[in-house]
Amino acid sequence: MIEVRHLQKQFGTVSALRGVSFHAPDGVITGLLGANGAGKSTTLRIVCGVLRPNAGEVLVDGVSPSAGPLALQRRVGGMLDHAGLYSRLTPREILTFSARLHAIPAPRLRGRIEELIAFLGMQSIADRPTGGFSQGERMKTALGRALVHSPRNLLLDEPTSGLDIPSVRALRVLLRRARDAGACIVFSSHVLEEVQALCDRIVILAHGRAVAEGTPAELCRRAGAAGLEDAFVAFTRAAEVAA
Amino acid sequence: MNPVWTVAAKEWIDGWRDRRAVVSAALYSLMGPGVVGMVSFAIHDADRVLIAMMSVFTLVAAFVGGVNVAMDAIAGERERRSLVPLLMHPVTRLHLLLGKWLAVAAFCAAGLALNLAGFALLFHRVPQPVLAVSLLPLCLLAAALEIWISTLCRGVKEAHTYLSMLVFLPMMLGMFMVFSPVAGNRWWKFVPVAGHQLQIEAGMRGAAPDPLALLGVGLATMIVAGVALAAAARRLEQDDVVYGG
Repeated sequence: MIEVRHLQKQFGTVSALRGVSFHAPDGVITGLLGANGAGKSTTLRIVCGVLRPNAGEVLVDGVSPSAGPLALQRRVGGMLDHAGLYSRLTPREILTFSARLHAIPAPRLRGRIEELIAFLGMQSIADRPTGGFSQGERMKTALGRALVHSPRNLLLDEPTSGLDIPSVRALRVLLRRARDAGACIVFSSHVLEEVQALCDRIVILAHGRAVAEGTPAELCRRAGAAGLEDAFVAFTRAAEVAA
Repeated sequence: MNPVWTVAAKEWIDGWRDRRAVVSAALYSLMGPGVVGMVSFAIHDADRVLIAMMSVFTLVAAFVGGVNVAMDAIAGERERRSLVPLLMHPVTRLHLLLGKWLAVAAFCAAGLALNLAGFALLFHRVPQPVLAVSLLPLCLLAAALEIWISTLCRGVKEAHTYLSMLVFLPMMLGMFMVFSPVAGNRWWKFVPVAGHQLQIEAGMRGAAPDPLALLGVGLATMIVAGVALAAAARRLEQDDVVYGG
């Protein structure tokens, strides 16, 4: 469960976040929907402990970074900033490296990696250097790295960007399985159809603020719109006027 | 495994598999024995010149071995966008940096060892074991400076430009020490790189190592390496490193 409260982030003179607040419960896929520059990536980077906010706080399973930023990172897995793999290492080596940094004990490490390789259907590529991988294979490896320590909370920043249709479908299946197992998943995208297809709840971000939050049906009802696209436009336009 | 060693081991394996970079670093490390060997055919009875040249090339070798790994370790992480996933692990940035530093230092030490082995093979001149060991802080300093420069760069190409310039430091300081009369002043013995040049040159002439000078220059070298690492750690905490700005 992730609770984000009044996050503010300034990069020089640019205000990236101006008080973002939302709640992402367990067993639910929460979509962060917003135009480019709305603050989705910055929010996710703060939640996973890579950036520090200027104000506000993040609680992950009730734990705050004030208990030590590393305590938060143990509870979160993330696939941010594209795949970002080491081209000369194999998926098995990348997962082992990640598992060691998560301090997974040696007797459990090999079993966990085999389990992940099977879960992601990576048996045929597990021992090939990632340098020549397709986007789908890269995505699976990056997802494996995010899941290696069995986090209860999973953050994904535009994970389908550059993926072909079979890979997108495979990713959706994997995320639904993780959700059904009780994980809290936060998924950012600027593609409305994608968010609609996958997310149970949606948080609309505009100009560094969370301007609406709820299920797709709730958002349409509150905006008085027939579809999610119209609801999105209505909420973001209202935020534009307010800004 | 301790996170520092985990990172160091990963960087070592990753760096070793970059065969083109390894071959390039090995060739640069052996450039000294090659060049001095050619010069020795051209001039005779010029031990002083040859030994001076050897000392400068040895200093350079301590720097070149780690350049490619340092470039890839931070600037390369930013360029291939693997830095954010790395920073998401529950490991402090200082630990990540120390692991990368140790891996780069190991490559610097390998370059230095290759250079000394080349000179030993060609000229049967090797520094005394105590002097060889005292060159290890020089590798740690070279690695710290290279890692620091790598944290300042957005990509491998930019890092390559600045790290190539860094290699001029041992070359210039080494040549200055060979030809400058101020090299005889006692305090130069304690200046990193310059002090090492004096020790290497004396050692290759067969003089006994000066323990006080070795200790002093070793200490000064570690202090400068510590400052460079602190600067790199500070840089790694800045937002634009994460955001690739």
